[in-house]
Parts: sequence; structure tokens; C-alpha cells
Amino acid sequence: MLNLHGYGMRLAEGALVTVELAALSLIIAVLLGLVTANAKLSKRRLPHLMATLYTTLIRGVPDLVLMMLFFFGGQMLMNDLSDWLYARFGLDLFFNIDAFIAGVLTIGLIFGAYMGETFRGAIQAVDKGQVEAATACGMSRALIFRRIRFPLMMRHALPGLSNNWLVLLKTTALVSVIGLSDMVRVATQASKTTLEPFTFMLFVAVIYLLLTSLSEWVFKRLTRKYNAGFTGGRS
Amino acid sequence: MLTNESEVLLKAECIAKRFGDTHVLKGISLTARRGDVITLIGSSGSGKSTFLRCLNLLEQPDGGELEILGQPIRFKMTRHGRLPEDDKRVQWMRSRVAMVFQSFNLWAHMTLVENIIEAPIHVLGMPRRKALDRAYELLAKVGLDERADHYPSQLSGGQQQRGAIARALAMDPDVMLFDEPTSALDPELVGDVLAVMRQLAEEGRTMVLVTHEMDFARDVSTRIMYLNQGEVEEEGPPQRVLGSPQSVRLRQFLSTR
Repeated sequence: MLNLHGYGMRLAEGALVTVELAALSLIIAVLLGLVTANAKLSKRRLPHLMATLYTTLIRGVPDLVLMMLFFFGGQMLMNDLSDWLYARFGLDLFFNIDAFIAGVLTIGLIFGAYMGETFRGAIQAVDKGQVEAATACGMSRALIFRRIRFPLMMRHALPGLSNNWLVLLKTTALVSVIGLSDMVRVATQASKTTLEPFTFMLFVAVIYLLLTSLSEWVFKRLTRKYNAGFTGGRS
Repeated sequence: MLTNESEVLLKAECIAKRFGDTHVLKGISLTARRGDVITLIGSSGSGKSTFLRCLNLLEQPDGGELEILGQPIRFKMTRHGRLPEDDKRVQWMRSRVAMVFQSFNLWAHMTLVENIIEAPIHVLGMPRRKALDRAYELLAKVGLDERADHYPSQLSGGQQQRGAIARALAMDPDVMLFDEPTSALDPELVGDVLAVMRQLAEEGRTMVLVTHEMDFARDVSTRIMYLNQGEVEEEGPPQRVLGSPQSVRLRQFLSTR
């Protein structure tokens, strides 16, 4: 049996942080992705430009660099803000960027760009006639998106979505650099103290594998759900 | 036909449409009164489908007026051309004017019965129970009661089109638009769809249709409009337009059918 030298509880807590971080980031990434995809497909110039800027910037810079930029850069910005508030209004406030929130926002922001590309392709793959039929029934744009475009698009988006999610889940390991006690950070500390890196890294690897296997199962079910009605599709 | 005394349901005046430099529609007018069955005929590229799609604003006309149940649709000029002023009004209008497409366009991710209850529930706010009852009634009417739980991909083209007609009927529309409803069908499946449409016409449904089925047009239409290069070249009762066409082009068109 694996001897965790009393780190079991802390590792479990770390694993929970990893899962929470990934799940919340995913929600932000999906929402941002949907907005980005719609903006990119918009006829209006400003939304299109902003979305293009966003995806180009995010996808062109390494995740780790972005994370440090947001976390440390953000903290410096906050410090300047409190200095300014003190000098100008005599307000003595101090803003501290919470590592967890910073992690969620950063990962969400990074993967929103990838999700945006996934969703954009998927939205374009939806047959125009399907949307036209909904329009002709008097549905509003929001209703059409919710009831027609989204479920039809998901079929095309799921392979990319599932891929993005797996990468996102593993990217959460990066938050240990900004001091968040996720599973990887706990394991790193434990390795250093006990001089048994293999034990702890193996443990972490197994947990990640469990999480990704669980995800595969969920995505399989989602794929079946959104492929209903399509013969010859993936299932 | 009591055409003249009947209530005007749909009125389009001087509808014009351009795609780039091409004038697809050069000012076409149409008045549909309750019980009218108006058939648009013409060769491909004559603008008949585009005109039909302007009637429920799937295409935005560059010029002309549109009125449904006495309610005018107002337009405004924008950077993206002439657009309706009020989206809500347009949505309401579309809920009163149902459309049947050449390619059926049943929603692929929903079963037939789900297709039929979708808009009544979400657009008209009909209770689910009532929408379902009505859906089964309509499916029986178009001869598909045994196919309610099939997905569109499991149905033949003719069945899909009859399902699409049931979906349109579920909105209890004042006017029904048919855009070449049998053109995508295998010849042996056309008859069933035309039979359903014929029944609707006999029940007094107000219909505007684009079709190449001349015999059908002759039988069910109250009026026929022959379109050529974006203009109405000839219109009138079917006996006159199809029986003794005045224009040379219409005669040529009819002789090729």
C-alpha cells in the first residue's frame, strides 16, 4: 500500500481544490467561449474586432506567462489603486488578489479563447435551414440559440470541448506557481520533505487519470445525448 | 369565392429587393384575403421564392410595405440596409404566417412530435398538455400519427414534409407560405404532400405558394401570379392565366411544362 506519510488528508484537500478550480474555470471558459464565438460571427465590426484581439492574444502567449502576468501584475495594479485612493481620498484600503479567484479567472480567460474557436466552428456547422425554420416560427434570437442552435451545435462542439476540458484540467497544475495549494503543490512539498517524489507524483498522476477517465465517461454520455436524431453520427 | 368582401390578412406593396447590382424584385404587390390560395409561378430566377421569403421577412426587402392582419411593419434605415423597426412585431407577424420549406427543415434533434409542440409552447405560451393533444390531432390529419416519436432522419422526404406542414399548422397561422414544398421529393412521394395541401385549401386555409406543379396550381388556386425577372407579368384566376395566357413569355413558360 502507498505510504503517504500523513499527507493523505492534505492531498485530498488539494485534489478538491484542483477539481473546484477546474470546474469553475470551465464554466467561465464556456460562457466566454460562447460570447466570443457569437462576437466573431457577428456582422458588427467592434465585437468581431474585440473577439479576434482576445483569441489572438491569449492563444499566442504561454499559459504560465499569462498566469504570472495576471496574478503579479494584477496585484501591482491593486497596490497602485490603494495608494492612489489613500493619497486622493484618504481611504485606507488594501486589496489582495485571492490566489484561488485569480486562478479561476486566469484559466477561464485562457480557455475561453480556445472554447471560442471550438464553438465558432460548431455554430457554423449548423444547417442554416434549421435556424430559418425557427425564425419563421416567430422565435426570438435568444430562444433560437437556446432551443435550436445550441443543441445542434453541441454535436459538433463536443469533440473539441472535451479536448479543451482535458487540457484545462491539467493546466490547473500551473496554479501552484501562484501559491495555491492544489494537489500538485501539496505533492511537491511532500516530496521535498519525505524525499519520496515518486510516491507522491504517482499518487497525483493516478488522481488526474481518474478525473480524466470520469470526464471521458461524461462526454460519452453527452455525445450520445446530442447525437440523438442523427444517424451515422459518433455515439 | 367571396374574395372582395373577405378580410385582408396579408398585404405586400411594391416589394423590391436587390442582391448587389441585381434587381431580384422590382416592386411586387400581393393581397391575400381569408381563403385565398395564391400561387406564384415562373422560371427559376424569376424572384418568386425571394418574394415569398420577403412576406415573412426571412429576406429583408429594400423597398415596399408589408401589412399583416391590418398591422403595418415599419422599417428604418440602418448601416446594414433597411430593417424592421421592431423585432417583437416581426416575431409576432411570423407567428401568424407559417412557412413550409423546400428542404422541410424539421429540427433534426427533436422527434416529430417535439418538432410540432416546440413553437406553440415557446412562442405562443401554450401549455404542454394542450400542445401535445393538438400535435397528435395534426399528425393524424397528415397521416403520421404512428411516426410521432421518430426523428426526422428516420422519415422519408414525403413524411418529413407532411410533418413540417403539421408543424406549421400547430401555430394555427392566419396565412401559410409554401416554398416549393414538393421540389425536393421523389416523384412517388409528391402525391401525399399535395393531397394534404389540397385538403388545407378546401378547408379554407389562406395560402401563398411557390410551385412547379401546374395541375395542382390550376385545381386549388384562387389566383395565379406569373413572375418574370422580378416583375409580375400576368396575374388572375387560374382558368385565365393558365387557360388563355396573354403574354408571349408566359405561353413559352407554360409550353415547357
